[in-house]
Amino acid sequence: MKGAIETREVITVADRGISLRGTYHKVQEDISSSLLGPNERDHIGMLFLNPGFLPRAADGDSAIYWAESFAKAGYPSFRFDLPGLGDSDGDVPVEMIDFAHLVNTGHYAPTLSALAKSITKRFNLLGVVVVGHCAGAVSAIYAAAASNEIKGLVLLDPYFHLARKSTTIRKTLRFWVPRYRLAGHLSDIYDRLKYYRLLLAGHRLPNNANVSLIRCWNQLASAGLPTIIFTAPKPKPKEGEFDYFRYLNLKSDGSRHVVVKHIEGTNHSFVKGTGKQAFLKHTEQWLSNCFPPRPRTDIDSSDHQRSNIAEMNATANS
Amino acid sequence: MGIMEKSLETAGYLEHSGAHLYSVLHGVSDPLARVLLVGPFASERHFSYIPWVRWARFLAARRIEALRYDYRGVGESTGVFEDMSFSSWDEDVRFLADWLKTRSPSLPLILHGLELGALLASKVFAAGVGDALVLWAAPTNANEVLRVGLLRHIAVDHAFRYGNERKPVADYVRRLETEPLQVNGYQWTSRLWRESFKFEMPLNGGDDHDVTLRGEGPVRPVKLDKTAAALVRGSGYASINPDLGRLFRENFEWINKALTERARRQS
Repeated sequence: MKGAIETREVITVADRGISLRGTYHKVQEDISSSLLGPNERDHIGMLFLNPGFLPRAADGDSAIYWAESFAKAGYPSFRFDLPGLGDSDGDVPVEMIDFAHLVNTGHYAPTLSALAKSITKRFNLLGVVVVGHCAGAVSAIYAAAASNEIKGLVLLDPYFHLARKSTTIRKTLRFWVPRYRLAGHLSDIYDRLKYYRLLLAGHRLPNNANVSLIRCWNQLASAGLPTIIFTAPKPKPKEGEFDYFRYLNLKSDGSRHVVVKHIEGTNHSFVKGTGKQAFLKHTEQWLSNCFPPRPRTDIDSSDHQRSNIAEMNATANS
Repeated sequence: MGIMEKSLETAGYLEHSGAHLYSVLHGVSDPLARVLLVGPFASERHFSYIPWVRWARFLAARRIEALRYDYRGVGESTGVFEDMSFSSWDEDVRFLADWLKTRSPSLPLILHGLELGALLASKVFAAGVGDALVLWAAPTNANEVLRVGLLRHIAVDHAFRYGNERKPVADYVRRLETEPLQVNGYQWTSRLWRESFKFEMPLNGGDDHDVTLRGEGPVRPVKLDKTAAALVRGSGYASINPDLGRLFRENFEWINKALTERARRQS
């Protein structure tokens, strides 16, 4: 069994006694030498997280497609499974709601921060841009606020509210709506009441807002961390749902560093329709603006300088 | 059989038919047997991943070395999904069973398939590979699996459409018979859809009891109930990491019994 093939390598990072497993997509212009070991010096790396509880390949293996594409464009890419997910060691809670609670309270931030540090050091990177989808986006925001190695964020459908168990009314409606027309009307009335409640609340955050996450977000926005957010159409969007992006944009003074792109014709997985290609196109453009790949000549000349220094050290030591 | 503290997990690539199959070996220093875990189809892989890995670790902790892998063109394996057929994935199972067997030919080899994997494992077992066969949620043919995936895709599609924009299932099927359709991020070809009707289970056995296939060895088909639904997303589930202790223990005990019986016959 080979640990590495031409364009990819299986890698492991140890964090607090457990092994985190991931895949490293090599910059393909440099394959011959990258087979010899980590040499991605002076590049910005792309670090992909699990979308929710799914393994690191993501829906329709989209993360693999994106990671390979970024590596071809000059950004070494890494996809990792967080503890208890995919191939990594560790455990995750039984219920989805308990997993969401861990994510929403920043449980995975120290791990992700350590991962960013370890990869940056091991591959001589300038730092990493974290790509987080859904729950992965929440963990990415928490980690970026606590990491010097995270230089940018690419977020797909991030959310800023806390998961709550459905209310009895909502559960009852969910059961009856497909069965009876009257329940459908009651559901519409329920949504309408919610809409008026949010309207009356104006720009006040809803009760289930994730305040600590919003605090992290504001901290990152003030610091000017380059960030691009992708949103997908929601199934039958409800009027009056709290617009967190508008709220965050109004509240933070560093929002000029935040780009928001809405992709039509896809869904939350970003693999339907043109979602996968649109995400790639916009992210590559954003990367080349914020983190232009270094021309090979620059790297070659700094390699030459480093090799001269290495030779000098060797001479001095002999 | 004692429970070991920690297994040795090695992930890597095995080259086969111009592609690299991503495989994870849950190694054991002194194994009693080896098991090849043949997982579910494409998008189902993602949703059953957590309990499937836990099952591999459960076996390895009990001295049964387990190899799990991704189908060619799916997940971490290389290859182009739309170029694949059921026979490509059947070849993968044969190749990996051989690879696992050559690690120590004297040890028994168990094939264990989940959902489409059960169909693939059965085909290979029917051809005389392996000493025992475990089947979880085995379909009667591959179209059963594809149809579940297609219905889920249609349900998501309908959630974004209103009234007449919503096409009936028959429309999707008609389209799929003549042109490729992107389903849950994978490009299904008409060829794959047509072949799925003919890719059938070679076994005739009941559920939840042992059957024998042409005298090749013991077979255990298991119908998964809702407590194990995370393994087959089509069943619908709320928990991501359910307690499958009972399912694991019962299947392990069956494997243990099959191994003991095999040793008794050989002595």
